[in-house]
Amino acid sequence: MSIISLKNINYTYPLEEKQTIHSFSLDLEKGCVYGLTGANESGKTTICNIIRGFIPELYKGELTGEVMIKGKNINDYNIGDLATIIGYSFQNPFTQLSGVKDTVYEEIAYGMENIGVSRDKMIQKVNEILKMFQLEDLIDKNPFELSGGQKQRVAIASVVALDPEIIILDEPTSQLDPKSTEDIFEIIQLLKKQGKTILLVEHKVDLLAAYCDEILLISCGELVMQGPVKEILSDPKVVEYGGQLPQVALYFIKKAEANGSSASQVPLTVQEVYDHLNKDGEA
Amino acid sequence: MDSRIGNLYPSSKFTFIILIILLSMFVPGFIFQYMIFLFIFLISLFSGTAIKFLATFMKSIPILIIFIFIFQVFLIVNEDSQQIWAFIHFSQIGLMTSLTMTSKIVAISSSIIWFFQVTRVKDIVYALEQSGVSQKVTFVIASTIQLIPQMLNLSRTIADAQKSRGIETEGNLFVRAKAFIPMIGPLVLSSIQQIEERVLALESRAFSSKAKKTSIYELKKQKFDYIIMIFCILVLIVYIVWRIKL
Repeated sequence: MSIISLKNINYTYPLEEKQTIHSFSLDLEKGCVYGLTGANESGKTTICNIIRGFIPELYKGELTGEVMIKGKNINDYNIGDLATIIGYSFQNPFTQLSGVKDTVYEEIAYGMENIGVSRDKMIQKVNEILKMFQLEDLIDKNPFELSGGQKQRVAIASVVALDPEIIILDEPTSQLDPKSTEDIFEIIQLLKKQGKTILLVEHKVDLLAAYCDEILLISCGELVMQGPVKEILSDPKVVEYGGQLPQVALYFIKKAEANGSSASQVPLTVQEVYDHLNKDGEA
Repeated sequence: MDSRIGNLYPSSKFTFIILIILLSMFVPGFIFQYMIFLFIFLISLFSGTAIKFLATFMKSIPILIIFIFIFQVFLIVNEDSQQIWAFIHFSQIGLMTSLTMTSKIVAISSSIIWFFQVTRVKDIVYALEQSGVSQKVTFVIASTIQLIPQMLNLSRTIADAQKSRGIETEGNLFVRAKAFIPMIGPLVLSSIQQIEERVLALESRAFSSKAKKTSIYELKKQKFDYIIMIFCILVLIVYIVWRIKL
């Protein structure tokens, strides 16, 4: 059974005539990392909001189709309680803070306070999360006084503290420097090891290639490509749909095209390029 | 705020300032009320907030006091008013009225300033939640206080952006007022946009969960808190009884 299942989703925002999402169906399996990519305004964030239940609960608009979370219709969940099943972290680190806590320590505990976790358990969990996200040095700092990267880490940590099975990360690295971006991806790797299902919206395909199990490509509100990383990110059609291919893969795709051979085995990550070149050297 | 007084339970400090406010309002004359100011200053010394207390007080209250004095003593015409020049009079009654009025303002405002300087917002929010106030109400209080500095930062960013596009933001009052108008639009719009994102962020932290809320922050009433509260209530009762007997 899929942990998330969307069946024939169509959605139109209020006061808009054009549908943002059309005939969108998707099944996500437990414990996998899915990279959702596509051009700007293609509907990536809208899909995340539909899965989380913010659409139509908070955004209203016209939604048809069926959203199933862990085999149960999303309408049967309370939107507040869904936070314990689906963690959702947004693009802008500046508006993700609760705005009511004056230390990182309390900010991370905020979600647990809302679901009534006992104080002892909360302290234990916060300490665990602080260690996991390497935030120990910031515990007494005001979250608003942190850098963008630190805020983003705190925001994701606060969501992970609720121990959700599914985590949606909507462009978590869009405002971060390369080091902070690497840190976030290390955390994603760690969460995957814990068996979390992750839906990661991201434009940095090089990183998606390195960390995801499957790629979902969305274009003009439609799911146009879905499959294993290797298969999707070596297909030149991705570019036609407004997506991007990993930089390291482009050279090998062009070379394969010139040779008239298949591009499906091209290396996508730096490690794969290294292995590939070593193999060629040996040959 | 980390002083012994700062670490008291908010309701103990609140009971104390309620006592001060009631006494300031009902004790006749003005000497007692002005003495209250000195008393509060003394307490702020013990709380380690004396300089901050004086700075905040001097920035706001004296202007109000001077204004009241000018109006009551020189501008409002009373039975005993003596003309000095044109519409300016001197009145003994006005002087007494302004002294009584301003002494109450001084006593009440100084105790309120002191209270907020020695009480953390999270302590107030915690105490309110423990006394059964809705989480939505405490959220509004806490977020408003936390977000004021963020709004100021945002307005500074917008002002810098306007400046870089050639709008004069410094100079006389007229220039500043002119620069303020184009700033209101972006400030209000970005604040509204941020509210939408913040609603989603709060929902991601189970804000509307039906579960009974808990708190990682803990503040317990100490023996001294009970002593203060009982003392304040006793003083109030003694005063009421004394006034009735009079």
